[in-house]
Amino acid sequence: MAIIRIYHLYPAHLNLYGDRGNMLALCRRAEWHGIDIEVVPVEPGGRINFSCCDLLFMGGGQDSDQKLVAKDLKNHRTEMRQAVEEGMAVFAVCGSYQLLGYYYTTGRGEKIGGLEIAEFYTEAGPKRLIGNAVINCSLWNPPKTLVGFENHAGKTYLGPNLQPLGEVLVGYGNNGADKKEGAVYKNVIGTYLHGSLLPKNPWLTDNLLEKALSYRNQVFQPAQLDDSIEQQAHSSVIRLASSKRHKRRSSRV
Amino acid sequence: MQNMKGQHTKPGSSNNPLLQIKLLLGIWIGKSLIALTRVFGRGGTTLPGRMALKVAPRISSSLAGLLPEGSLIVTGTNGKTTTSALITGILKEAGYNCVHNQSGSNMSWGVASALIAASSWTGHMPGDFAVIEVDEGAFPKVVQSIRPRGIIITNIFRDQLDRYGEIDHIRDAIKSGMESQPEYGFEVLNADDPSLISIEENCGKKRWSYGLELNLSTDTFENTGRDIKTCPICNEKLAYEKIFYAHLGHYHCLSCGYKRKEPDVKLTDCKTSLDGKPLLQITLPGEEIKVNSPLMGNYNLYNLLAAITCAKALNISNPDIAVALEKSIPSFGRMELFELDGKTIIIALIKNPVGANEVLRTILGQADKINILVTINDKIADGTDVSWLWDVDFEQFSSVKDKLSSVTVSGLRAWDMAVRFKYAGLDPAKFKIEENTAEAIEVALEQIPGGGKLFILPTYTAMLEIRSILNKKGLGKPYWEE
Repeated sequence: MAIIRIYHLYPAHLNLYGDRGNMLALCRRAEWHGIDIEVVPVEPGGRINFSCCDLLFMGGGQDSDQKLVAKDLKNHRTEMRQAVEEGMAVFAVCGSYQLLGYYYTTGRGEKIGGLEIAEFYTEAGPKRLIGNAVINCSLWNPPKTLVGFENHAGKTYLGPNLQPLGEVLVGYGNNGADKKEGAVYKNVIGTYLHGSLLPKNPWLTDNLLEKALSYRNQVFQPAQLDDSIEQQAHSSVIRLASSKRHKRRSSRV
Repeated sequence: MQNMKGQHTKPGSSNNPLLQIKLLLGIWIGKSLIALTRVFGRGGTTLPGRMALKVAPRISSSLAGLLPEGSLIVTGTNGKTTTSALITGILKEAGYNCVHNQSGSNMSWGVASALIAASSWTGHMPGDFAVIEVDEGAFPKVVQSIRPRGIIITNIFRDQLDRYGEIDHIRDAIKSGMESQPEYGFEVLNADDPSLISIEENCGKKRWSYGLELNLSTDTFENTGRDIKTCPICNEKLAYEKIFYAHLGHYHCLSCGYKRKEPDVKLTDCKTSLDGKPLLQITLPGEEIKVNSPLMGNYNLYNLLAAITCAKALNISNPDIAVALEKSIPSFGRMELFELDGKTIIIALIKNPVGANEVLRTILGQADKINILVTINDKIADGTDVSWLWDVDFEQFSSVKDKLSSVTVSGLRAWDMAVRFKYAGLDPAKFKIEENTAEAIEVALEQIPGGGKLFILPTYTAMLEIRSILNKKGLGKPYWEE
């Protein structure tokens, strides 16, 4: 039986926007596909043995938690970067996504150094970018859509060689200007979308499981799953996100 | 009891004729719109207040200033509606007339609507007290305009993040509101909430605190919603001897020694009678009060205690308190009971993980078979981000599968909820999905035998919709007729 070891980074601190749902989706779907999952919770201050990690999950956190995490994670930067270069799968949401870049400049002008895993930076904008989002992921063949909810003050700008996770169809994405959302580097996926993201986008969940397996030279043999409820949830968000009426009743003037 | 007359300036009787005209105009516009929305069966609490505030921005301040006993403002993440209803009940029992925004419309315009609805067309304000529940975000502004005599704060939990961002911001808002309360006022705070009670005292004000001193049984809830993990003073790890729920309990800091102070008003015993209703023993320095309460759920112990503490701060007599609480009924959509064709319907509002978990805990504590209808909307008043559903411990239902006899989901976000149940371990073939809420109620009721019980768990706007559907079936009354 195939096995994936998921390192859940700082679960007590990075759990802001239903990140529990992302972990739940990874575990449930792995189980349904007949993959064994071992979840290793990682707490600040401890040793992180990246060589045993197949998939690293990093959720979003409050500002105060975020700072603590950034400080702790910097002690592991070299090992983490090495694992990423070798193909470790990483899924990072919101604040954790920002942490993967070069730096984050806060609203007060404070510059917090990132892990420099991928070539991008983030600067706090004057207003929070909040709402439903729909993304077209053309890196995948055939292209896929992602639906989620975003809520971030940071505006992220990707370097010229970094691929976005997708193009924004509805919502703001990385910075509200260039129509790009998230970033993909090797087996690393960073995104602003939560919702929770993975339960309503089962293809991405499976893709992460596949990345984690292929990193360890294991083959992903998907089971035939009935995803009709997930698909309905997926299309209902596209419907709501595209509806002007719904936008009116769900946005603050 | 000390009368507050004379301590307020009375803008209602201001000599400035322009302000007078604006005020009257605001009242007329507000009252006309209230009448109009009620004709359409909506009981509007947003539009009338909003329009009136446009014409007369100081309308709430002017009207509240006319009340001889002053205003009491209740805020906090959970328990506002129930606590303010309990306080109103006690004050009524003690012979006072109260203005109260019982619909739970608690933004600045909801407060204005409630005050306007109570005032006369000529700008007179009948009544002694205003008991106003206020949203945490609107709290600083409302305190500034209404200048309350009492502030009652229940707790601070993670709420709708799409609105206020993080819990630290909510605490800042509450703190700044507390600072602008007049110094002759009093405040009532939950001693078991470290992030709340650690807010510095302002000089001159009397602070009352309340807390539980009980042994409650622990349960298997995984996600306890403990958003406060560190000491509010030094940011190091906080340790707990007792946790009642979420981060409410008996705590101390391992590093700086900050710890829970003994509260003024303590719940020292709570026996549960066979029908699940608690008999409470409340201890104050030198006295003891025994109260029977019809409200279910541990979270209501805090609401009862907050109301009792407020009543003590106002010198209300113990018999008045006990009689009022015994008569109290669940407020608007908070475990509110309806009977239809021999079936019982119980509406229990859910709006954030901590509150929803407490509702689940109460439902799971029932002896009967469980039937639930979960209705999730994502309009502004519900919170537009539904990711909080993933922080609610719906997994609890999968561990009582033999007790769970039917599950229905509905609302704008019915499919999100269906996915949530699927990943919580429920078999999708076993639950019904019906986006339309009126249909969903029928579907849910059909599955229940006579004498059965249906728990409806709606978000805020879904709750209003469900109540109005039930009103049309002849159950209950619109809130403005109660």
